Formats: sequence, structure tokens, C-alpha cells
Amino acid sequence: MAKTTKKTTVKKAATVKPKVSPAISPIPEAPRFFEKPETFNQVSHSLTKVDAMGLACGTQKYVADVDFHNLLHIKVLGSPHPHALIKSIDASEAEKLPGVVAVFTWKDVPRVMRTTAGQGFPEPSPYDNCLLDNKVRFVGDRVAIVAAESPEIAEEACSLIKVQYQVLKAVFDPEKARDKDAPVIHDEKDCRVPIPIFYDPKHNHCSHVETRVGDVKKGFKQADVVLERTYYPHYAQHCAIEPHTCIAYLDENDRLVLRSSTQVPFHARRITAQTLQIPIKKIRVIKPRIGGGFGGKQEVLLEDVCGLVTLKTRRPCIWALTRAEEFMAARTRHPMVVTIQSGVKKDGSITAISMRIISNTGAYGSHALTVLSNCGSKVLPLYRADNIEFIGDTVYTNLPVAGAYRGYGATQAAFAMECQMDEMAEAIGMDPIKFRQLNHIKEGESSPIFKALGEGREGVDMSIGSCGLEKCISEGMKRIDWAKKYGKPGTGVKRRGVGMCCLMQGSSIPEIDMGAVFIKMNEDGSFNLLLGATDLGTGSDTVMAQIAAETLGCRHTDILVYSSDTDMTPFDVGAYASSTTYLSGGAVINCASKVREQIVAVAADMLGEKMQDITIEEGACYGKGRKSSVTFGQICTYAMYEHKQFQIGAIASHISHASPPPFAAHFAEVEVDTETGEVKVLKYVAGVDCGNAINPQLADAQTQGAALNGISYAMTEEFIFSDNGRMLNPNFGNYKIFSTKDMPEIETFLVPTYEKTGPYGAKSVSEISINGALPAIGNAIRNAVGIRLTRPPFTAEKVLAALKEQAKSGKKASSVKAETEKKPEKASKKTPVAAKAEKPVKPAKPAAKKAKASEKKPAKATAAKKKK
Amino acid sequence: MKLNTRINGRDLCLEIKPNATLLETLRQAGFKSVKFGCGEGMCGACAVLVDGKPRTSCITLAGTVEGSEILTVEGMGNPDQPHALQQAFVDAGATQCGYCNPGSLIAAKALLDSNPNPTAEDVKDALDGNLCRCSGYVKRIEAVLSAADSTASTTGQKKSTRGKK
Amino acid sequence: MLKKLTRFYHPKTIEEACQFLGNGEGRTAVIAGGTSAALRADSSLEALVDISHISELNYINKDAAFYRIGACTRVQDIYKSPDLKGPAGKLLQAAAGKIGSTLLRNAITAGGNLAGLFPWSDLPVAYMALDAEVVCRRGRPKRTVPVMSLIETRAPQFLAANEIIAEIIVPAYGPGTGTAFAKLAKTANDYALISLAVRLTLKDGAVNQARIAVNAITAQPVRCLDAEKLLEGKVLTEELTAEAANKAADSLNIRKDIRAGEEYRREVFVVMVRRALNEAFENANRKGGQQ
Repeated sequence: MAKTTKKTTVKKAATVKPKVSPAISPIPEAPRFFEKPETFNQVSHSLTKVDAMGLACGTQKYVADVDFHNLLHIKVLGSPHPHALIKSIDASEAEKLPGVVAVFTWKDVPRVMRTTAGQGFPEPSPYDNCLLDNKVRFVGDRVAIVAAESPEIAEEACSLIKVQYQVLKAVFDPEKARDKDAPVIHDEKDCRVPIPIFYDPKHNHCSHVETRVGDVKKGFKQADVVLERTYYPHYAQHCAIEPHTCIAYLDENDRLVLRSSTQVPFHARRITAQTLQIPIKKIRVIKPRIGGGFGGKQEVLLEDVCGLVTLKTRRPCIWALTRAEEFMAARTRHPMVVTIQSGVKKDGSITAISMRIISNTGAYGSHALTVLSNCGSKVLPLYRADNIEFIGDTVYTNLPVAGAYRGYGATQAAFAMECQMDEMAEAIGMDPIKFRQLNHIKEGESSPIFKALGEGREGVDMSIGSCGLEKCISEGMKRIDWAKKYGKPGTGVKRRGVGMCCLMQGSSIPEIDMGAVFIKMNEDGSFNLLLGATDLGTGSDTVMAQIAAETLGCRHTDILVYSSDTDMTPFDVGAYASSTTYLSGGAVINCASKVREQIVAVAADMLGEKMQDITIEEGACYGKGRKSSVTFGQICTYAMYEHKQFQIGAIASHISHASPPPFAAHFAEVEVDTETGEVKVLKYVAGVDCGNAINPQLADAQTQGAALNGISYAMTEEFIFSDNGRMLNPNFGNYKIFSTKDMPEIETFLVPTYEKTGPYGAKSVSEISINGALPAIGNAIRNAVGIRLTRPPFTAEKVLAALKEQAKSGKKASSVKAETEKKPEKASKKTPVAAKAEKPVKPAKPAAKKAKASEKKPAKATAAKKKK
Repeated sequence: MKLNTRINGRDLCLEIKPNATLLETLRQAGFKSVKFGCGEGMCGACAVLVDGKPRTSCITLAGTVEGSEILTVEGMGNPDQPHALQQAFVDAGATQCGYCNPGSLIAAKALLDSNPNPTAEDVKDALDGNLCRCSGYVKRIEAVLSAADSTASTTGQKKSTRGKK
Repeated sequence: MLKKLTRFYHPKTIEEACQFLGNGEGRTAVIAGGTSAALRADSSLEALVDISHISELNYINKDAAFYRIGACTRVQDIYKSPDLKGPAGKLLQAAAGKIGSTLLRNAITAGGNLAGLFPWSDLPVAYMALDAEVVCRRGRPKRTVPVMSLIETRAPQFLAANEIIAEIIVPAYGPGTGTAFAKLAKTANDYALISLAVRLTLKDGAVNQARIAVNAITAQPVRCLDAEKLLEGKVLTEELTAEAANKAADSLNIRKDIRAGEEYRREVFVVMVRRALNEAFENANRKGGQQ
């Protein structure tokens, strides 16, 4: 996809720039820093979202909001078994049903192994699935595709397809997936991973990451207390209110057009071409308005099927997932088993952290490696420790497929880490906030983890250029009224507590992700901003318009944003990895700067002045001393019609050399009903340092939305499975996401910093705030009633069971401190990751009965005996 | 079969299948603001006013709205002349992906029609059937309260002091 | 989904509705709120009689001693009605307000909650605790029956083919009576895991009449007769409420629910009954009665 760099326009534009150095190569050099203007006219203001009025009036069009004549409707038959071979499949009855136009089974389609993960090429995810296979690996896996005149007919046809399955033994427990007697889920010969990384499908072992800094053994020996505990972050679904939807049709040139609810139009084009074995140039992907994605639409789930049907039938078709299919057959958050062992000295210094993870990717390895790496890379650098160990493994099971979900590994690992931080503080008798303040990373500091953990390859070394965490903490403490509320549960049946956590994320994947932008000027002084960066409801179109307007010197309403369309807009990796503002925003500056130079040059020509004397203000250029001026409209008209005519416009790209973390501190206040176990989140405070917010209102909205999604995840959202691995609650009736009546009082605030590597000082904001609720609420519950919940969601049933367990064992909450003699270090020898600290019901073992609340014992606490 | 209704102020006679839902009927008739979200009445993306009451059109059989008056968000206002609530959603930053907005605005309109001076609790109560995954609901609640204020001030209604929480 | 449906009837009166039901060719059923998924999935129905627009089925009236609620009154209207007051009115409102969401409450009807009875229906327990009666009509002829008999037999069996539920009559009660409603669910608009309604009518400080009605934890709404009996004639004490709550739990046939364990629901049920009894008792003792 290096095409754009070859474009001669790039070269020409580059030569206009007077000072840029060697200038011989047409390959542009991405700037490492952006200049900070003295004042901001367009960014740092809460300007109106460019599509807001259309959204509020219902005039904006989503995928399904256009009518097509002769549209076919697609249904996909899902597997009833978690693991089976298709011995025979007979679609003849289905084909006979009036209104059925086509039926496809694995026999009818080419077998091309690929990944559905919409990632950069070559993807760091295994090629372990194809369009249709003769084996199914989870309940809901694709068996056959039906295209019919109506959805009802298509559905009926699905029921007429006769399939004979040879049911295979299934494995659901990630901790048993690598056992000798476990069934091999990917025994096909052709699964592989396209980059040189660990992959051992014969043992259901999808990915492995291991990194060490210093020597944790030594670190544990230096510690006064060593704690080990295992945490079990759970399955969840994105629940974008718009289900995945795709329409395919052939255009007048017989090219395949995919109108799709995707976060990754360019990856969707590439992967669809690969799957259908047609040239990329035969496909155009259009992303209209998208009804939320949260990572769920970073998967190429529908485009291949729709493309197949349209190419084979030559008719337009639509496939929209039902809500049940969203839950069962789209993507989910990776559930994990996270074991942390950490050593701490009484003075509050952390001597060693060992994080061991088993991540359950379900039947296919979408994002298996990178989500796992992010557990370490987006969590471990937050606190200083000389000795760090990260050992992660992703395993296949016969459960729903995990993938990208907002937070992307950081959610799961931050839960474990931030609970562990509270446990450590408690063990040494230190205030948990003071403990964090003592240890968290600060401006100018670095972490060896940045370099050690990348995405499928080594990471990029960097130091922290901006960090507003300290302010997030102090301001948050005030807003939650920490001093008054911490450790004061009261005495009644209902007890209250507060808890907090600190968070970091990243901003784009450095030196991997690329975004590009094209700007052209119109004769009324407006600009078309065409970009691949994909607004899926986040407001990135608006953010980009503001950045463009700031750079060009006009108003954001004069920027006409079009995103994204693989025919019309330049490449962008898409909306993921908290990258759009930071990365694509950089491309906007690079591009708009070139356009600005052209504008200045034309204005100088028109005014008879030198370029360096021209200033720009609100859509007009002024000569020396502001004695003369021309408007942008006049400038473009002049360039189009009058003299040395040319189109004012440019294309530019950006890659980043860093991934500066945004930081956040979250606080929760809860009330626990000790008789029923019900937990009410009373108040939630989230303070975020996202650098200089381009649009504070939108950044705030991102924070509020992410926070409530996190709260809902922490409190109620869960997948309930049958013994056969079938999700039993695939609907909003039984998978409960929070409504207005459930929400606590939510208070968010931004702590402005200035990140020099980001466009106008910006860092990312979209993902970080989904990570706080699990640990902040978990810590608040601990503060209120003394129980440590390690198996979210924190349902009333689990809370009550933990309270009873606590009462039975007679131990008081704060028993973690127990200064028991510790047997000399044995933890870091290669032990199975599942810690013995708790012997709970297996987490992912699907059981109709709910886990019998295993949150019980306080952490296995072992106090290291100081070596003399 | 024939269905006679008044949609957004216009009398329409639509040809429908007897088992058609109001959601599919409205979308086929061009009212695309009405969205599919779950098909079970649980998310509210498909909410419309039926004789002034907000209902989920996805589980409402079209045959049951014979003779009724339907209002979709297209009928509330347009970008040239937005309804106070639509303007308030825009101003408060309450539109994110926007997919749930039409349904939420319909529910908000029903609230203000019956209670022009709601508290935040009233707003939460009225919008409890409109799930949103983007916003955390904070800004839409602000938007409805501010729309109530603006309509109250333009119609000269006296605004009572209201608890913000 | 209603694949065989060909006709809708839109009667304007009860009599007309009953006529359509009686004379309908093919399988015919009543539709009011239309929220029942079972109804929408029925592939044998050929005709639907839409009674939701019959004005003589849509009202909340009060006379000296009774509330009369038209069967097609939306539960949202019950929840928001300024006319419902006192121990009965407040109990009905509390139960109605906990049903689904605003959007669903605008569809679900007072009678529909009895006609299509689900484990998670919230209103039936309130009707039961209040000793409500139901007026069933076959055109003109009508019969008034205790709500319990309709619930126990279940509406489809209880009602004749041309008969509809027309009205729910609820005794208003007054000072000396207290009620309480409680629901256990995961979120505000969730299906109930436990739905509970309690009424205590006192005489000289002692419980004269006790009602404990429960749904969701059971497969259908039931009353906890043993516990009620235990309370009657006694002055409420902490020990007594605890004993009654345990007795109530013992009498239940707890249904399976994928969303929460049996043991847990039993345990919380005991707490809920105890609290509801205390709340109802407090309400009964309120000066000027429960408002």
C-alpha cells in the first residue's frame, strides 16, 4: 500500500517547501514534533460536531438507510455445536424454496485462509479461518450462506439445509486448553501466522509473549511483602446499537461496492480481495455513518459474504446481523486469567512485578497476540519497578471469538494491576493513593516496557513527554471527597466505600500505523477534506476539521469532511488503537500546511507581496501591515481561473514515532447492601489527561461514554453459557447494559497537558476510560465491606457469597497484611499460570449455573524475610 | 392489506403485509430515522410516537396503528428548522454515533409534551428505554433539561426551580 | 412470525370485539399492547382483534371504595396517574413503574399482564396482594372473578373464546393498611428475578389481614399462605417478620433461572420479604394513612 508515496504530487508539493532538507527523495519524512501556535482559534474549542444536526434530525445515512432495487437478503446458518466436522451438507431443499436465489456451503467457495482481524498488513493475527469451512469451532460458527428475496425466506431456507455433523470433544476452559488430552481446535494443515512469531495450533496455543526486565527473583527477595493473586476479567460484547451491516452491489463499471459499517475500510477492502481472490482494484469500500463500533467493527465479518453473493448473483444484497448474532458470532472482549505476583518494600517502593496471563481468544485468533501484548505494554509502564516479567499466552477454546474491544487488553490487565496496587498498599499499611503517587511514571521518565513490548514486533523506545496524572489524582480526590469517605463504611446494613485507580493507554501504534489526508480548495474558500480516518461516531470528522481549519486559518464549518471511501479518500489504517486524533490529525496538519503554503504563495502573487509578509486570519490573507487583503474565496478563484492556474490542494501522510500515553485517574463511590449483596455505584469521577483536547466537549463525551460502558461491564454484563458452550443470554433482555436509570452520577474532567509529538498537543482519549471501572469499583467494594472480588461482574450474588465466606472464615478484611514467614522464593520457577491462591470454579467453563462466587479469601500474602 | 395512518402530519395509506412491524413499515415508507437495534423492544432505537406516546416500533405490529398518528424524528424538525430538543442535542454534544438519537429524541419529546418542566430524575425515567453505548447519557440529560428551559422561556412559561440532580 | 396472519379487526366497543372473537374464521386472538414475543411468534394465528383503541377499556376511575382500571390502560398511565393514591394506588404504581422501560410501559396494559402471564410480570403480584377482582366480558354478559382464579387457571383456559378481560377492580383500602413492592433485578429495566408485593391491614395494632404475593422466583405468581397465616392476628415484631419471611421462602417452588442461583434468590427473598413487611407495617401506621 505504498502507492501514495509514489504520487508525484507529493514530490512537487515537497519542493515548494523552502527549507525542507534533502528534498531529493519523494518519500516524505514524518515530523517528530508539531509546532505550537501562540493561540488556538479552532482547536481547544468545543465547536459543533459537523454531523450533529443531521444526526439529530435523522437525515444522516447509515449503511441500511439507502434503498436498493432488487435487494437480496442474506442469512448465515450458524453451527449448533461448539466443535464438529461437517460430514455432509445438503442444501437442495433450501434451494427449492421459492424466493431462494443462492445457497453456498464450504464446497462452493474457495478455501483461502485469512484473518478477520482488520489490522495492518501483514497482520499479527493467525490465518486460521476461511469463508466457509467443513469444520465448525464454536456455537454460531458459519455453516452455510443463503441469499433470498426476503430475510424471512432466507431464514426458512437455513432451516431446510440438512447438515450431518460429527460432533467432536470441545474445550471451554482456557486453563485446560493446552492439556495433553484437549481436543485440537485447529488441526487443519493450512492455518498459519503471516509474520515470524510463535504459533502452535496443535496445542491450541495461539500466541505467546514473554519479556523480562531485570530479575524478578531478585526483586522478590528484596521485598518486605510479596503478594500473588489471580484475577479473571470476563467476556463482554461491544453492543454498538447499530448491528454490523453490509450492502454489496456492482457499480456501472462492474466493480464490487461494499457499503459497510466498518472501522477499517482499507483493511476490509484488502481482506475481502484476499478472501474472494479478486484484485483490490475490483473493490470499493464505502463507510457511511456508523452506529458505534468500539472495536467490534474492526473485523471483516460481513464483507466477504456479501461480496461473494453479489459477485455470484450479480444482484445487490444486504446482511445485517441480528442482536443474537452480534452476541454469539461477532466479536467479544478476550476473557483472561491474570496472575500478578508483586513485591513491595515497606517504604512503598515496588521491587518486582510478574504478570502472567492466559487469554482466551475463543475459536479464532483475532487480535490474539496484540491484545495480549497490550496487557503488558499499556499497563506495566505506569509504575516504576526495576524487575518486571511479563509472560502471556493466548489459547483457543470452543467459545465465542474474541477480538478488538475498546481498551484492548489494557482493560483486563489494568483490573488486575490496579486491584493489586490496592492490595500492596494495604499490605504495607500505606494509603493507596500515596502509594500510587510514589510509584507512577512522570514526565521525562521512560519504561523499558515501551521498547520490550510492541505489536507483533519490538516496540518503540520513548520517554513521557506529557503527564497530567498527578493533577488527575488530586482533582479527582477532591471531587469524590476522598478524605472524608475513604475507610468510613458506616455501620448499617448498607456500607459505603470509595476506590480509585490510575490508568494509561497509548496513542496509535508507533511506526506501524499510517494515516493520509487529501485537501483541495474550492472557489468559495471552502475545502474538501478527504481522509481515510474513519469516524464511527466518535466525532473524528469534527476533530479533523478543526485541525485543518486551525492550520489553514479558517473556520471548521468551511471544511467539508468526507470519510472514508477507498476510491475517494487516501489510505488510513482506520479507527483503532486510539490513533485517529493523534495519528490522522498529524496527517491533517502535514497536508494543510502544504495547502497553506500554496494559499500564501497565490496571495503573495495577487497582492504583490513577499510570501513571508503574508499573514492569514479567518479565511483571508493580509499583506504587510494589514494594508491589503484577499479572501480565501478570491485566492482560489484566482488560482482556478486567472493566473498560472492550478488546483490548490495537497496530499500528505503521517506516521508516528511514539505512542504517548494519555493518563487518567478514576474514582468510584459505592454502597453495598450487606444483606442482598447489591452494589450501587453512587458516584463516578474520571479525570483524564489527553494532552490538549482538540474538542473538549467531544473528549468529555468520549470519557463519559467509556466510563459508563466500563461501569456496566463491571456490574452486570456477562456471557452465560450452557454446558455446550452456547451463550444463553444473547439479547438485551438478559445481557444487561446500563440505561439512564442505572447510571451513577458521573463527573468527568480533563487535565490539559501539551504533547509535542501530537497534533496541537493532543494525545488519545477514546479507549482509556473504559479501563477504570473494574478496578475502581472493585477497590471501592473492598473499602466498603472488605471483600476482594476477582471474578467480575460484581453481581449481587457474587458479593453476597463473598460476604458470607468472609463471615465464615472470620477473617477481617485487612488480613492481607499477615506477616507470615515466607518460604524462600519459588514463585518464579515455571509454574502453571493458574495461581493456587484461590481454588474457584473454573472461570470460563460454561455452566448454566453461575459461578458459585469464588471471591473469597484474601490474597495469599507472604512476607519476604529480609535477607540480612 | 391497507394501513391508514397519519405520519408526521400527512395522511398516508400504505400497503403492508399483515404481519409487518411498524418499524419495517416506516422504513419502507422512507422514514429511515427509525432504526433497527435489537428487534425485541429492548434498545429503543426504533422508538416513535404513536398517538403521542413513545413506543418501540420493532415489536409493534403495523396493523395495530390503524387510524393512529405517528411521529418520527423527521417530523420533529429538520436541519433548517430543528425542534428545540434537536438543537439542544447538537449544542450539548449529545450526538455521538447518533444511531440512538432519533429514538431518544422521540422519548424526550414525549416527556416535554407531558411535563415541560422536568427534573433530571424525570429525564432519566423518560429515557430509560433508549440504550446508548457512546455517551454515558450525561450530555443528553443536560440537553433535555436545557431544551425544556428554552421552550419554557420562549413560551413564557414560568420556570420553577428544579433540582439539578 | 405470524406467518398465517391475514386480518386485523379494529372494534370500537367491547361488544364488537367479542363478536369478532366469537365469529372469527380461523384462529383468532386478542392483541392489546402486543409486547408478548410468544404472540408475535405464533405461526397459527390468522386474525387479530386489536382492542387497544376501545375507549371503554381505557380508564382509571375511583369511587368510594374501589379503583376501576380498564384492561387496556397502559401501565405507564398507571405509573404516572395522579389519581392513584393510598396503599392500593401506591402499590399499583410501584409495580407498574418497575415494568420494563417507558417505551414498553406505553404498550403493556393492565389486563395484558394477566392475559399473557409471564414469570417476570410485575403487576399480578400487586393485584393479588390487594385482593383485586377482574371483570370479564362476553359482549354484554359479564362476570366478576377474584384475580387469583384467573391467574391459577390462566387466562387462555379461563376465558371463553369470545370473552375478554375488561376491568380490574382494586379495593382502595385506607388508613390502617400499608403496602410495599420490591423487585430484584440486575438493572432498572431488567426482567424480575424476584417480584414481591405485600399488604398488611391492621386492626388494633395487630395484623388483621396479610398478603404476600410473589412472582419471578416462581414459575407463576403465588401467595405465601403459610406466612400470611402466621402473621394474622399478631403484632409485628422483628422475630415474627423473620419467621414469616423464612416460612414464605419455604413455601416456594423456586424456578430455574440462568441469571441467578436458586440458593441466592431464596436468601435474598427472605431479606426482601422481611423488609417489605416492615415497610408495609410502617406505612400502615402512618398518620393519615399511606400516601
